[in-house]
Amino acid sequence: MASGEPSKYVTLVSGDGFEFVVLREATKVSPIISGMIDPRSGFAEARDARCVFQEISSPVLDKVVEYFHYWYQYRDNDDVPDMDIPVEICLELLAAADYLGLDQATMNTRQWS
Amino acid sequence: MISGRGGSGARGARIRPPRRIARPNAPAEGADFDACWELLREALRDIHNKNCSRLSFEELYRAAYKIVLKKKGDELYNRVTKFEEEWFAENVIPKIEQLVTRSLVNIGEDRSAATSANERRQTGEKFLKGLRDTWDDHNMSMNMTADILMYLDRGFTQADPNRVSIFATTIALFRDHILQSKLDATSDRSVVDILISVILDQIDMEREGDVIDRTLIRSCSRMLSCLFQNQLENEHEKLYLVLFEPKFIEASEAYYKAECEHLLRQADASSWLRHTERRLGEETDRCGTTIELETLPKVHQTIDNHLIKSHLDEFLALDVTGLRWMIDNDKFNDLSILYRLVSRIDEDKTALKNIVQRRVMELGHEIEKTLKGIDFSMGLAEGEEGGEGDKKPLNPAAQQTAAAIRWVDDVLRLKDKFDAILKECFQEDLVLQAAVSKSFTEFINVFSRCTEYVSLFIDENLKRGIRGKTEAEVDIVLEKAIVLIRYLQDRDLFQTYYQRHLARRLLHNKSESHDVEKQIISRMKQELGQQFTSKFEGMFRDLVTSSELTTGYRDHMNVAGEGEKTIDLNISVLTTNYWPAEVMGRSTQIGAESRVTCTYPREVSRLQASFEQFYLSSRNGRKLTWIGTTGSADVKCVFPAIPGKSGALAKERRYEINVPTFGMVVLLLFNDLEDGASLSFEEIQAKTSISTNDLMRTLTAIAVAPKSRVLAKEPLTKSIKPGDKFTFNNSFLSKTVRIKAPLINAVSKVEDSTERKTTEDKANQSRAHVVDAAIVRIMKSRKELSHAQLVSEVLNVLVGRFKPDVSLIKKRIEDLITREYLERPDEDGAPSMYRYVA
Repeated sequence: MASGEPSKYVTLVSGDGFEFVVLREATKVSPIISGMIDPRSGFAEARDARCVFQEISSPVLDKVVEYFHYWYQYRDNDDVPDMDIPVEICLELLAAADYLGLDQATMNTRQWS
Repeated sequence: MISGRGGSGARGARIRPPRRIARPNAPAEGADFDACWELLREALRDIHNKNCSRLSFEELYRAAYKIVLKKKGDELYNRVTKFEEEWFAENVIPKIEQLVTRSLVNIGEDRSAATSANERRQTGEKFLKGLRDTWDDHNMSMNMTADILMYLDRGFTQADPNRVSIFATTIALFRDHILQSKLDATSDRSVVDILISVILDQIDMEREGDVIDRTLIRSCSRMLSCLFQNQLENEHEKLYLVLFEPKFIEASEAYYKAECEHLLRQADASSWLRHTERRLGEETDRCGTTIELETLPKVHQTIDNHLIKSHLDEFLALDVTGLRWMIDNDKFNDLSILYRLVSRIDEDKTALKNIVQRRVMELGHEIEKTLKGIDFSMGLAEGEEGGEGDKKPLNPAAQQTAAAIRWVDDVLRLKDKFDAILKECFQEDLVLQAAVSKSFTEFINVFSRCTEYVSLFIDENLKRGIRGKTEAEVDIVLEKAIVLIRYLQDRDLFQTYYQRHLARRLLHNKSESHDVEKQIISRMKQELGQQFTSKFEGMFRDLVTSSELTTGYRDHMNVAGEGEKTIDLNISVLTTNYWPAEVMGRSTQIGAESRVTCTYPREVSRLQASFEQFYLSSRNGRKLTWIGTTGSADVKCVFPAIPGKSGALAKERRYEINVPTFGMVVLLLFNDLEDGASLSFEEIQAKTSISTNDLMRTLTAIAVAPKSRVLAKEPLTKSIKPGDKFTFNNSFLSKTVRIKAPLINAVSKVEDSTERKTTEDKANQSRAHVVDAAIVRIMKSRKELSHAQLVSEVLNVLVGRFKPDVSLIKKRIEDLITREYLERPDEDGAPSMYRYVA
């Protein structure tokens, strides 16, 4: 947990304009969002702590945010309950997961000097 | 982790296909490859210009995402690579080219160029700074680029294991286009070569005492650690390890080699030690702050090899400041450093060990030599009471005692010195401890009188030395004695001497404290085993029984005695085996007189008979032998008033004189004599049948010694000769009532050389038996052994007692063969085999 960061929270915005406020730590599971809000890079998202996902609808982003917190809550546990996934959005959710790089949470191993 | 429940609901939930949210204004929406690339290209440029706060990560990521989804990943990959190459060519390389100046190129090639160190440092630092800044920019940009192109790696690069991630490719551009390029046309050195020589130059400056920008160099070494030899990014092929480290080690080697030779020319081991230790610390520091920590073991090894090992022996052998000098002058600091350094390069510390050992030997021999050089005849040793006279030259025995104490003191002082060095400097290193002990054992045992001297030292301390000391101080003395005993090899000889000295102390009541005597014996028991001290313990037991016997006999006489005048008898019944042969009157075993003989006067014989009766009434089958040489008697003498004299002589004088037993026997002869009558030496001998030597000693005590001259001798010389005549000294006068005649004893305290020879002969004789026993015991359990094995086993078994000569063992084996304990099995033609004959 890097200290001195601007905020403990980031705002995720869905394509249809819904805003979700998420713990910064909880978004670490996604290398994409991590890179996006990394204060060293200085992209617009990092400056405002606000990420807009044009391609993701609010029900899907809602589920994604739920997953973020789910992951954060149980990140050190072994015995983890299942998460409820509505069948209707599962394909969209899969696409979003791919987009956010959730299939390989440990991918970002490059070193910054 | 995520489980759906599709298809199970009764309401028949339908899976929604992914749908797009229409965003008419979004630039990348529905656009083709070119539009997306254009967006990314602009973004890359902005990233390089550090102008990305207006960029939306998500937008860029989405653009790359789309391109990849459209299967144009390879083209994106190539275009990004090409873009970066162009960027390098246009914007970065010119900057670096400016940095690479003529003087900079010279740094690596010719150190001694005209430029001053200061100039060189500034040029170098400028170059390093430029390079570092460029690298920082590039590294930053490439990280950001890789971030927005993350989907490219996931969707395209990782699909084929041979492809290299976009980051590895772009970051490597720095290596290919900058580090490995030759920017200066006149030189064939690439930038990385220059970089390394500049870093090395800076490090050398620091070694010479300059201050350099460590963080700057750290950044550069970090850069080399981040870049790899090739695209496989193998950890072992970091540029730092492949290019920098070997050169660094090489430069360090050269540097330290030169430095070591320089130090050697100065010939000051002390400054060499301090310098080397400082260098080790500096390199640790350097690896922690300036370059990478992984180099530390290697550069330390370089120092070990070139600064320590290469000329170690020369430094140690230096005359004025070398190891010998350090030891002699107690240079504890130097020795500690030396120990630390030597243990770096050699587990066994051979060089250190050898010299320390040699020095111990030398100092040990010196002790012996000075001992020979000192004349002890003038009583210079501490508080030594010179025999009977106060300022007179010491008699030979006292001289020997003084020499013994001097020797022991010197040895102990040497031991203390090396103990201190081992403790303070050598961290109680086991190897060195063993080596020092070995040397002590060696030089102590080379000195032929060591066993006697150690025993004399204990004797002296127990007689006088511990008087008025606290328990703790006594303990220290005991500890010292034990330390010395531990070093002795011929423990059987020591046992003989100790037995003799202990007997003397006990029988003549010379011992200061029986408690301390018992303590030291129990310590010896711990160190050397039960067997070693059993005789000493027996001696103490004898004394206890004797005092019981004495009181028992006195009570018995009080009851049974018919009121007649009795002689007060104090008896010591000694068990033959526990006491030294000399005391027991067996000293001349081989000679003509096998026993000390004496014809006792009537009164005494009656007393002896009465005691024997008392003694044997409770004990069966024992034989008592009376030994006159070790006892003493209190004799009351009455000297008549001499008419015509005034003062004390005019009165009758009564004295109580303590004389040796034989002295009493001789004095009693004069009871029966008329006044003024004399006895000749021969007459006395005939009446008492005391041996000539014993009689001479006895008469010396009572007729020559000035304070107890009860008999007058004719002629009046200092020595007793056959033919002398003795009369009762009527005019004897003494200030005290109780007088003690000096003990002139058969068992002299210190041996002269012939006596020592006999002691050794006797020791050898008993050794033969011990060796016999050892051989038989070993063969009994092993049945068959080769000669070499047997000899080594025998040496092993006897190590705690003495070190037998191999020739002695050989002789004993031969002897045992003739006595048919062993045989040589001939049949298998093994001449050096022995077999036990049951």
